Amino acid sequence: MSRLKTILLVATWDLMKLRNQKVFVAMRLAWFTVQVLVFARAISYIVTRTVENYTGGVEYYYFYILGVYTTLLYSTSIARGYMVAEEFDDGIVEYHLSLPVKRSTLAIGRVLGGGVSTLIFTLPMMIIVYTVLRVRDPVIVAISLASALVFSAGVVSLVILLVFTIKSTDLTDIIVGAIDALLVRLSTVFYPLPVIASTGIAPYYVAATLNPISHMSDFLRILVFPEYYLVAPYGPLASILYLVGFSMGLLLLAIEFYEKKLETGGWR
Amino acid sequence: MIYDFFELTTQAYTVALRDLKRFWQNIYWLAGQVAMNIADLLIFGLIFRGIVRPDLIPDYIRFITPGILCLSIFISSFTIGREVGVELRREVTHYLVSLPITRGALVAGRVLGGVLRGLMYQVGFLILAVLIMTPPTLDKWILILAASIFISVTMSSLSITLVTLTRDFNIQAAIRSLVYFVFFFMSNVFYPERALRARLGPVAPVALYSPVSMAVTIYRYGFGYSTEVDLVFNTAGLLLWSTATVLLAYKLYIRNLRR
Repeated sequence: MSRLKTILLVATWDLMKLRNQKVFVAMRLAWFTVQVLVFARAISYIVTRTVENYTGGVEYYYFYILGVYTTLLYSTSIARGYMVAEEFDDGIVEYHLSLPVKRSTLAIGRVLGGGVSTLIFTLPMMIIVYTVLRVRDPVIVAISLASALVFSAGVVSLVILLVFTIKSTDLTDIIVGAIDALLVRLSTVFYPLPVIASTGIAPYYVAATLNPISHMSDFLRILVFPEYYLVAPYGPLASILYLVGFSMGLLLLAIEFYEKKLETGGWR
Repeated sequence: MIYDFFELTTQAYTVALRDLKRFWQNIYWLAGQVAMNIADLLIFGLIFRGIVRPDLIPDYIRFITPGILCLSIFISSFTIGREVGVELRREVTHYLVSLPITRGALVAGRVLGGVLRGLMYQVGFLILAVLIMTPPTLDKWILILAASIFISVTMSSLSITLVTLTRDFNIQAAIRSLVYFVFFFMSNVFYPERALRARLGPVAPVALYSPVSMAVTIYRYGFGYSTEVDLVFNTAGLLLWSTATVLLAYKLYIRNLRR
């Protein structure tokens, strides 16, 4: 079997698991709807119009819901960590490693499968956001999907590395939850970078600038609202290069880990 | 009768104490949570203070502080559900039912454990609230304590109820998030009722019946942010929420223990 076929086979295995996640998708869709229709609308009501000076004239509600979509993309990718932890619990990781498949192929297949699963999983939410924003241009939709795949592949690689290093269900729940919450807070999901800069907290500003969530959400904002480019501290090219670098770097690390360090057993 | 009650209380207290000890074992998790709650208060509050409409909220940090008090209870009391969930998945429940304690005491102990976790975790944030807001008088402290007890009973019982619905780790985590989003976003934690009325129209009053809104309203009164609140409605509402969730947690947890 060619290597590409094997990668697709491993990725398809991940995708097949989506069938058992209908309840999970429904719940995520429910809370996303609450976030977009209740929280985002109410919070945009209390925000002054002067904030539009920092968003290039983009209404805060629109600014925020693209951030929320990015958060969801991120959280769903992070949730793969819980799945891998369960696989360890059930002995599936041992089964995977015993297959006549190269470890690097296995790593690429898992990351690709995780990324595509995330994309499919979050598709209903993307439809909601793009409907609210009245985005009809197929090119914008296609670029959004491609960038979302790159971003989620990077986050899935990160979480696979974490879970395999931690090797504990409880610690996975704690650490993955903490990273999830922390990175979202230190990003431009809620507020534009110039507003963060105006607080004078330099480490927060630096963290937000380096945060992949900031780059993903700002890239989508520039894509949908080109006027946001006027106030964004980095352009779309810089963001997409950053995201590709982030994902490729972590994928390489995941492959390296699978090939040289991953051992079964010792799961707590 | 009195002896039985004393016996049940002692057993429940023993179970609760075990849960409390386990709570402090995850010291890194605790440190992370405290850091995040403070970050929410300072970063979210500080940044939003600069961009919210002053006619609606003159000082966002003072406005959000009572919400953070409620959030601290949610985070800490809900951990009891996570542990009950892990026990159900790993069938530690078989060991628990073999202990020389009644099942009622076991459930009461778990709820009490969640309450103690919530109250202890909240102490630091109460001190912070005193520093940021107006220090409460004795009668207001009693109200604040009552609100904290009721809301931690509600959250602790709710977390136990929800994890007993499924043994799937992933769905348990998703339910936890869904509850957070529904309770906190459909409440007066992040925005005043006027914003909810403006955006949700006739649905807005639903937020008033949320236990989170009720607790936050009492905290805002206690710490001098609001002066005119319906204390009877909010306190009685919290009492009702805590009673209903305790009964539900008891019924579902017992059902799971018998499986």
